[in-house]
Amino acid sequence: MKNEYVPHPAIIESFQSESFDTKTFKVVFEDKALADSFDYKPGQFVQVSLLGVGEAPISITSSPSQKGFLELTIRAVGKLTRTIHELEPADKIYIRGPYGNSFPFEEVAGKDLYFIAGGIGLPPLRSVITSVFDRRGDFGKIKILYGAKTPYELCFKEELQSWKRMADTEVLLTVDEPDEGWKGNVGVVTTLWDKTDMAASCGAAFVCGPPVMIRFVIEKLLNSGFEDENIYITLERYMKCGIGKCGHCNIGEKFVCTDGPVFTYSQLKKFPDKERAIA
Amino acid sequence: MKERLLKKDNVKALCVSASDQWETYVPLEGFGGDVQFTKLDNEKRELSLDKLNLNYEILTVPPKVTVFPQLESLFRFQDEKISETVKPKAPILLFGLRACDVKGILFTDDFFKRNFEDIYYLNRSMNKLLVIVGCKHPLENCFCTSTKTGPFLESGFDLQLVDIGNKCLVEIGSEKGQEFVSSYGKFFDEASKDDVECSKIAKRDAEEAVRLRLDFEEAIKKFCDDKVPREIYERIAERCIYCGGCLYVCPTCTCFNVFDDIKASSGGRYRNWDACVFAGYTREASGHNPRFEKWLRTSRRYEHKLKYDYLTTGTSGCVGCGRCLSSCPVNIGISQVIEEVSKR
Repeated sequence: MKNEYVPHPAIIESFQSESFDTKTFKVVFEDKALADSFDYKPGQFVQVSLLGVGEAPISITSSPSQKGFLELTIRAVGKLTRTIHELEPADKIYIRGPYGNSFPFEEVAGKDLYFIAGGIGLPPLRSVITSVFDRRGDFGKIKILYGAKTPYELCFKEELQSWKRMADTEVLLTVDEPDEGWKGNVGVVTTLWDKTDMAASCGAAFVCGPPVMIRFVIEKLLNSGFEDENIYITLERYMKCGIGKCGHCNIGEKFVCTDGPVFTYSQLKKFPDKERAIA
Repeated sequence: MKERLLKKDNVKALCVSASDQWETYVPLEGFGGDVQFTKLDNEKRELSLDKLNLNYEILTVPPKVTVFPQLESLFRFQDEKISETVKPKAPILLFGLRACDVKGILFTDDFFKRNFEDIYYLNRSMNKLLVIVGCKHPLENCFCTSTKTGPFLESGFDLQLVDIGNKCLVEIGSEKGQEFVSSYGKFFDEASKDDVECSKIAKRDAEEAVRLRLDFEEAIKKFCDDKVPREIYERIAERCIYCGGCLYVCPTCTCFNVFDDIKASSGGRYRNWDACVFAGYTREASGHNPRFEKWLRTSRRYEHKLKYDYLTTGTSGCVGCGRCLSSCPVNIGISQVIEEVSKR
């Protein structure tokens, strides 16, 4: 029987600042065999920890096709993540996983794909987006709708530009509070509906962001004709174990860590309102 | 399998002898009269057994604590090096359990086996022998006949003892139980037809002594059909002080928190029992808290046991032990909720 609670040491190879409170860390397992064999699917997460500080679930933002390392985009919000932000290349962190389900590839083959993200919600979707571009021919049109509070807080700024250049791909950005240089849309992510055609005859949508955004985006998607089972939402919950034991991420009889974090809207709407699946 | 007989005079000697092979836990009376499932210390076991109390009313803390301790180490670390602290598998003997608590342990066994296996729990629990000593004096808060979890069981135990005076009839519930009775054969006697008859009367008397009767099935049905109005939870929320006591004494609660402890460069990662009624239980680092409102936490606390456990396993998470009510500082218990819901 495997001991799921003991993490593996990994080295921070490099990091990149995304904004004042968000960094993307590139990490490599110390154990070479593990680094080479570590496999995961887009949408899965790992439990990241520092000894003596604590542990938290962090989604994997790199793509499974990129072997040998993991990328983790981490916002400094709590004790652990603030401490991680103080780390430098060559420092050690601890990782176990991967955990959770993933975004289904087979089921959306041939479809137009819509990615809708808010703030720190883009990193989990980036793993899917990269994987989709790896197999570009298997899918229809791609639209990426991404909003942040300020232009500065948009993650993966360079990649957003390179995604724009991909075939049949549209990237629409918006911010709540523009600065002087901002020429794009201003407003919450749902205001982008007026800027592009969202009619979804055979589309699938992938949604990640703060709970209030998710609620409004789902409403918009349904109005645009998306089917409940073609709306994929990845949820965030306080978690301690990642393996369906500690109970903190329970929604109804489900565990976000093992039954999720990716749910279809048809699954989510079955939860009673008071379970606050989407707050 | 055929019943045997255990004279009460033989119980201590049997426990002493068994504790050579088994990590043996028995109900011992502690300071102030509380009875706790306590591990027999090999050197002091005869002395400890003077405090043996098989006639106890209820264990304040359920015996799940023997397999799922309130606090346990997940691993230790020194500088950056991790050392594992998983205990190796050991045969454990739990002697003198009540039926409801056996149901509780079987429930947590199933939970920790499901999906990912929890090695800490399973190494403790998977090689155990469960010996019931059936309840003779149920407390006024007990309702095990309604939940069908006592005072005696039909299955799930290895051995079940029925008190019939100065001796106990021993029912054998498994091959492991049979092996145990054979290995320690000298402590057991043949049971006569009369003994078996006496045990039936004792069981019936015990059953009749459970006075609190609830329409448990009707309540479960209402919970599963979402027929429990918000108002019930709001009324509880007005009185509940959210201390979590009811969940710490619940035989089927499994939630835990994980935290690190460090002094200089060495320390460990631990887990300890947690409770879903706490405001911080679902609070994320960002401050977002999906279940902050009190009535939402109360709803979670009852619906987990009476709806979601049932939907997942076909068994509810309530074993009718009454501990939640007995331990509650403001007199709230799951039995009251069950009663109100079933009668609506």
